[in-house]
Amino acid sequence: MASKKTAQKMLRLAPVLDLNEATALHEKLLALKGSAVAIDASAVERIGALCVQVLIAGAKNWQEQQLSFTFAKVSDAFVKTTQLIGVDIDPLMAKEI
Amino acid sequence: MDMNEIKEIFFQECEEQLAELESGLLKLNDGDRDPETVNAVFRAVHSIKGGAGAFGLDDLVSFAHVFETTLDCVRSNRLEPNQDVLKVMLKSADVLADLTNAARDGGSVDQARSRQLIKELEALANGELPQASAAEPAPKAAAPAPIAAPPVNEEGFQPVAFSFEDFEADEPALIEATCYEIVFRPKSELYAKGNDATLLLRDLSRLGEMSIHCDMDGMPPLDRMNPEAAYFSWKISLTTDKGEDAIRSVFEFAEWDCDLDIALAGGSAVDASEELPMQPVPFDLSLLDEAPAGSADEEEQIAIRDRDAAVSAAETASNVLQMAQSSARVPAEAQKNATAAASAAAQQAASAATPTIRVDLDRVDRLINLVGELVINQAMLSQSVIENDTNGTSSINMGLEELQQLTREIQDSVMAIRAQPVKPVFQRMSRIVREIADMTGKSVRLVTEGENTEVDKTVIDKLAEPLTHMIRNAVDHGLETPEKRLAAGKSAEGTVRLTAKHRSGRIVIELADDGAGINREKVRQKAIDNDLIAADANLSDEEIDNLIFHAGFSTADKISDISGRGVGMDVVKRSIQALGGRINISSKPGQGSVFTMSLPLTLAVLDGMVVTVANQTLVVPLTAIVETLQPEASAIHSFGATQRLISIRNSFCPLVDVGRILNFRATQANPVEGVALLVESEGGGQRALMVDAIQGQRQVVIKSLEANYTHVPGIAAATILGDGRVALILDVDAIVAASRGQSLKPEMSLAAAG
Repeated sequence: MASKKTAQKMLRLAPVLDLNEATALHEKLLALKGSAVAIDASAVERIGALCVQVLIAGAKNWQEQQLSFTFAKVSDAFVKTTQLIGVDIDPLMAKEI
Repeated sequence: MDMNEIKEIFFQECEEQLAELESGLLKLNDGDRDPETVNAVFRAVHSIKGGAGAFGLDDLVSFAHVFETTLDCVRSNRLEPNQDVLKVMLKSADVLADLTNAARDGGSVDQARSRQLIKELEALANGELPQASAAEPAPKAAAPAPIAAPPVNEEGFQPVAFSFEDFEADEPALIEATCYEIVFRPKSELYAKGNDATLLLRDLSRLGEMSIHCDMDGMPPLDRMNPEAAYFSWKISLTTDKGEDAIRSVFEFAEWDCDLDIALAGGSAVDASEELPMQPVPFDLSLLDEAPAGSADEEEQIAIRDRDAAVSAAETASNVLQMAQSSARVPAEAQKNATAAASAAAQQAASAATPTIRVDLDRVDRLINLVGELVINQAMLSQSVIENDTNGTSSINMGLEELQQLTREIQDSVMAIRAQPVKPVFQRMSRIVREIADMTGKSVRLVTEGENTEVDKTVIDKLAEPLTHMIRNAVDHGLETPEKRLAAGKSAEGTVRLTAKHRSGRIVIELADDGAGINREKVRQKAIDNDLIAADANLSDEEIDNLIFHAGFSTADKISDISGRGVGMDVVKRSIQALGGRINISSKPGQGSVFTMSLPLTLAVLDGMVVTVANQTLVVPLTAIVETLQPEASAIHSFGATQRLISIRNSFCPLVDVGRILNFRATQANPVEGVALLVESEGGGQRALMVDAIQGQRQVVIKSLEANYTHVPGIAAATILGDGRVALILDVDAIVAASRGQSLKPEMSLAAAG
């Protein structure tokens, strides 16, 4: 797989992902284009719908490019919020192998 | 945006809500029973409470809460809003306004008064209920509610007595939860305002069992998306026993920023939508509620979170009430509510159609000032073109004419920015009427007309004080006691009518009462006692009426708290004149008095007549001029040593030499060589002002002389003419007063400049 060749990059999410953070997150994701990404959401305490939108758009984008886009670590708050707003991140969770 | 700014916005909104509240209550007082009016009143109080909770304004929250509870009784038809009830409510609105002001500016409120009103409101909320059993407190009803958030303020949440007996029988049927299909499409503005869909969805999930489908179809590719735009929308099916109102109230603070569609799903509690890949939402969301310990860095977020928490707490508490209510209704009524809510939403959409912005007054003033400069500059330009235009290049002239029209239009539009309806001032008056009526034991009704008449903001700001004085006078002196009124064959309730209208470029404000009218005998006697007039002076009715504008004049026998200390009408007259306006009085014994104030629409421009006096250019405000005439030698009569009179249509009028009074020249000019301007002066009498020549009539931009130089007696302000020269604007009343022998004194400042 192509993704295997490029080194996987880690993106650590800020604790508070609100309106102010959405643009920053968007830019960070754009900067990582072309390489496999693992998202570390373990520090997330609060995430707004805008940032979820950005992450989902990122996931789609990576999927189209056939690169891996996973959530390596997630916090409880992150999981609960995504569940609450009906965004299924299970397929994107890093599989323990 | 820091906390203080958010708070400032909150207070601005409070002001609007309070205005809404008061006008709603007054409508109810006039017999309006439209449910939408009651809802508007309720919403106003509710919004104030919600916002106040976010800022920890406990006094405000607790009072607003009690008020809201009582209003809720009215809303649910458990309390008939009769005159007595509304009296308490109007007073409560006043206290709410006081509390808001106290919260903003510091200061304190009359604690006893608000406590008393809280008691009265509670009594209303409880008293009208059949079989009110105080032993059955509301919290018990709250038990089935999944999460009863702790109340924002313990004191505020008085248990509401409630009769459960009526619906105990059909309770099982009503407890049955209903399933609603909700489509929630947030707009980008929702996020921009610091709200978040997740918070709304969290509140929604608390109402009952929720499954959700997030619609991501509208999602653009990553590189083309705007990270701050709204793309997600949600289809939610919610099984709740709290009814649609509870769902709507979750979205209350966001309803303008999202598309919201709530429908009953097949009328059953069964999950109706199988096709949608719904995710059941786990109920344990407690983790989301916990404030993140490390996120104290951004105050704004905290504020929003706090606000949200407070609102949701308040919401949950009111849900308790709503749940209790909705269980008292038959389910069919839910349908009716839905239509009502829909129409309310439509109305809100209509009102949202004309968006407004808040702008600092300073910025507007700067703009107005610049436009004023532009107008002057344009006049200069056209003048110099005309002077140098010897070969008739008409294209330049045409262009200049168009420019002139444009600048005129720009000026008008900029002035329109400052124009505001007089409504807020009028609304303040209704409160004053209520308070004074209470103090004097009279029953008074204030009728306002033309509240939407617009006038410059500076005029509005300066209007409140004289109007307050006059209203007080009208109620205290003008109107009789109920007994006297009945004896005179009038209704016990006195009427004070406050009207505003536009008349030939000015705003006319009329204050009429249907009281006893001015007691001319008494006024005359008082004037003689105070040495204002000679004992044998022969005065017309109008002149006697105008005596009340003299300083130190009061006909009231006993000095009351409210008025009658002799400072009143003269102050009123002075402040109206300071605004470049005039005030008239007409009174009919037994039928009441009418005060008419005529004010300029703006204090920034003025229509004036440009005249020449001893080689100086002066501007005389057009509003003061009655007519102009060319004096003939035969019409001039000498009178005493220096006085001269001019006979106009068989009456004599003093001739005032403006150049002499302003010390432009040492000797009196020959009247035949000049022009006489007949002006109306403050006493109502006419004077002929003598000037050398009339140059023309034009609109001038007022430049304050005080701000740029210093006050000059006899001069109201200055302006810059097209040729770049400064022209002084004449203070007609000061000139007339000076001609009576009084010298021009600095305190005769009747500046027309704002």
